[in-house]
Amino acid sequence: MIDIERLREKEARVITIGSYPAIIQSILDFDYLAKKAQPSVIAIIATGRNNERYFFGKKEILIPVYATTGAIPTKKKEQCTFFLNLSSGRRVLHSTQDLLDTFPNIAGGVIFAEGVPETHALTLYNKAVKNKQFIVGPSSIGLLIPGCLKLGAIGGVDMPQLTDAKLFSSGSVAVLSASGGMTNEIITTVVQLGKRVSFALSFGGERYPVTTPKDAFLAAENDPQTEAIVYFGELGGTDEHAIAALLCEKKITKKVICYIAGAIAEMFETPPQFGHAKALAATQEETAAGKRKVLQAAGADVASSYTEFIDLITALPNASEELENVADVAHGLRERQKSLISTSISGDKDGQPHLLNEDLLTFTNNNSFATVVASLFLGKKVKSKELELFVDFVLRLLVDHGPYVSGAMNTIITARAGRDLVSSLSAGLLTIGPRFGGAINQAAENWLRGVADTKSPGAFVEEFASKRKYISGIGHKKYRVDLPDPRVVEIKKFAEKLSVKKYTTFALGVEKITAAKKGNLILNVDGAIAAVLLDILSEKEKIDEQELQRLTEIEFFNAFFVLSRSVGFISHFLDQKRLDEGLFRLPDHLVTQADFDEE
Amino acid sequence: MARKKISEYRAKQILTKALELPYEGVCVDADHLLQHESIDSNKLYVVKVDEGVKKRMKQGLVLLKQTAKEIPQAIVSLQQKGYTHFIIEQFIPHEKTEEKYLSLSLTREGIVVLYSDKGGIDVEEKQETIKKIVISNDKEKSRSDLSSIAWFRDDKRKEIAAKLIEIFNKYHFTLLEINPLVITKDSIYFLDIAAEVDNAAEFFVDAAWKDEDYRESDRRTKTEEEEAIEKLSQKSQASFKLEVLNADGSVFMLLSGGGASIVLADEVYNVGHGKELANYGEYSGNPNAEEVYLYTKNLISLLLKSKAQKKVLIIAGGVANFTDVRLTFAGIIKALDAEKDALRDQNIKVFVRRGGPHQKEGLANMQNFLQKEALLGNVSGPEMPLQEIVTLALKTI
Repeated sequence: MIDIERLREKEARVITIGSYPAIIQSILDFDYLAKKAQPSVIAIIATGRNNERYFFGKKEILIPVYATTGAIPTKKKEQCTFFLNLSSGRRVLHSTQDLLDTFPNIAGGVIFAEGVPETHALTLYNKAVKNKQFIVGPSSIGLLIPGCLKLGAIGGVDMPQLTDAKLFSSGSVAVLSASGGMTNEIITTVVQLGKRVSFALSFGGERYPVTTPKDAFLAAENDPQTEAIVYFGELGGTDEHAIAALLCEKKITKKVICYIAGAIAEMFETPPQFGHAKALAATQEETAAGKRKVLQAAGADVASSYTEFIDLITALPNASEELENVADVAHGLRERQKSLISTSISGDKDGQPHLLNEDLLTFTNNNSFATVVASLFLGKKVKSKELELFVDFVLRLLVDHGPYVSGAMNTIITARAGRDLVSSLSAGLLTIGPRFGGAINQAAENWLRGVADTKSPGAFVEEFASKRKYISGIGHKKYRVDLPDPRVVEIKKFAEKLSVKKYTTFALGVEKITAAKKGNLILNVDGAIAAVLLDILSEKEKIDEQELQRLTEIEFFNAFFVLSRSVGFISHFLDQKRLDEGLFRLPDHLVTQADFDEE
Repeated sequence: MARKKISEYRAKQILTKALELPYEGVCVDADHLLQHESIDSNKLYVVKVDEGVKKRMKQGLVLLKQTAKEIPQAIVSLQQKGYTHFIIEQFIPHEKTEEKYLSLSLTREGIVVLYSDKGGIDVEEKQETIKKIVISNDKEKSRSDLSSIAWFRDDKRKEIAAKLIEIFNKYHFTLLEINPLVITKDSIYFLDIAAEVDNAAEFFVDAAWKDEDYRESDRRTKTEEEEAIEKLSQKSQASFKLEVLNADGSVFMLLSGGGASIVLADEVYNVGHGKELANYGEYSGNPNAEEVYLYTKNLISLLLKSKAQKKVLIIAGGVANFTDVRLTFAGIIKALDAEKDALRDQNIKVFVRRGGPHQKEGLANMQNFLQKEALLGNVSGPEMPLQEIVTLALKTI
């Protein structure tokens, strides 16, 4: 059951299932015009990109997109209070159940799709009743509470529609209908006639709306701001008989004005199937005339024509208070244009350069290089000393590993070919990839997945072995279990001060198994950095698993190697120039002619 | 999307297959001609119309005890009554007292089961013998619910009923009326079945039934325009409906929105022009311009064919939530433009009332076009009450 007054007080945090940009944008416009500090839509479940861009006022914002409910951070799940299901009819049951089962604070939501199988709607009905949640729909245009909540396309998707319909101050007329189009038509009529809407709800024209017309009437009766109910009904079904019963039992005491469409059907022996699935009268009581009669007898003001319906609405008292005009604000938003790029880390504010919302000089004066780097890489300010110290150490540690490695070689060769600094550095950087320097990210993916799947290290190793794949983060050319890599020893010290360190523990568990098979299959620098970094981010920076997953997807963990080793490459370039080495060419004896055995 | 009757033949196939019973019925229609090899010359048959028609027996649409030789003539005689789909089954001799009535239908509270010991064609006159129970949506409970009807306390019957409920759920039936149902020691016979399914669930039934199994009770042949719109609707995300009510009517309506379209059609009826109303129809769900063009093209085709002396076209709808008025009107204008000369020759004026996203541009484009082509009746936005456009338009005929 919907408690409208409670919803007015609730801060709306909406997750949409599926994306319908025009509808989502209209909700954000509504929020902005209602002077909300934040947009109400906070997440989208859809395939495609990681974010969708929308306007909040003139400003562009990014709303995160997740492929599944499982990919949504727990914190975000907890924030969500409403859902808007924009997916197709056949997906409604599964996606709604999934959401209701995994989001702890959902008060209710709206289902937009038409063509939801009847039994699916009934399953959701039983679930909603059991969980004391509300679901409006299927095939609902939405629920609208002026100034508070716009859940769906209801009220329009065009800015002038929102302002014309005066949806930002609450009135006293509740608009209820199965028909989405008529809900909006009546909202427009009510406002044009000088009244204001207390709330509007379209329960959808399908046979089994989860929120029944009866529920919607009771919600209006219980809403202290509603004084009159304007209802548009159609032939088909027996909902109006239930409403009439409520009136007779005095469970509805507020004024009820209604129009029941479908008189035209009386002309035909076999009437046409009208637009809504339910709009077909099988028995006399389901005809428009039958419904009018019973509502009239129960005391509702039943219009015999649409003209009379408008007259009845006109007779309602006008809204008294002078309402503020939002049209000017809306007008100012017309010119808004989509930006070419979006950024979340830096830019000018009042003409001054800013990093992460702090003035550049303040930011640089107060923070170490490691903090600046880690903060910009993360896209938000580092909170912990632990991360700062570790990043500082890693940046120093990875600077150079001699001229022998691929990247340094390429830089040296390019420098000796007479090229400039940036070309030589780029040549070195271009070698960084899966075999050279790019293993930290892969190692991070490994440890994340291992911990997330709650596999034993043994099972994890077995999985790789059965596929004959190497485990990134494990194995070294020189060092062995009895000759430990001194750098790894240092890295591991940073984990000692942590309390949970689940990623490091897991990585060490894997090492124990692999090193027992072969002495050099030890945790290497890449694997150790990945594990410790994951632990610090998780424990000290409070970054949850889904977000860590996203960091691996964007190659965050490799960034430290790229930055640090750039120092090394630049140094090799300068060194070669100082030494003034000539053009490099391999002596013949260092090249083998490979013969392929054709047989 | 709505409930659809399906053929008795298909319903029986689904039921018998799930219950592992033999079924030797034969379906005869334009796509399935009579196959003589499937008819045994030593047996007697029943030939029935299979088009979702109620009270077939009373209307003489069921021919009993037909020999193999008589079947072709039986079909011809039913064809002469205007029917095209038939079902041929073996005649099952049985006593009148063996005829039971069993009906399952879907409601919000669960599946309503109706049962009568005294089934047969006149069961409706024996209302007092019909027992009713509601099987809750809770699967665990449903078996025990059945026991409240004495007849189901027999294990075999209870098993059959439970199985039927399972089939009913699995294949998204909304109505399954078996009358008569004959249960003998050796077998179960579903002599006549009326079945309805929820066509929104077609995706979930694994082609057990599909759109070719739908049987409309309205047997009027469709116009090519109606068929074109049905196809358009099937292929589109948006929804389109078009039904000719009076081919030679004078009031043609191009409406949007399930609710507003009834208000507007009602208004024609309320002011006493119901008989002249040529069509009912609506589009909704934000169709694109091309789809609206096709819809309008078919409607104009009907409009131009009508033999009425005076004709008018009403293009109307409420204040849309998300259907783009500018885009949908672009499609309408394109279709009007293609037939503007014919429309002018027949002296047809166009009356428009609409609101919604981009209404300002949409209405202005429409106004300019109609004015330029001398087709203008009136163009209004939400400032005009919805039904008033009908009053204005009807003044011209």
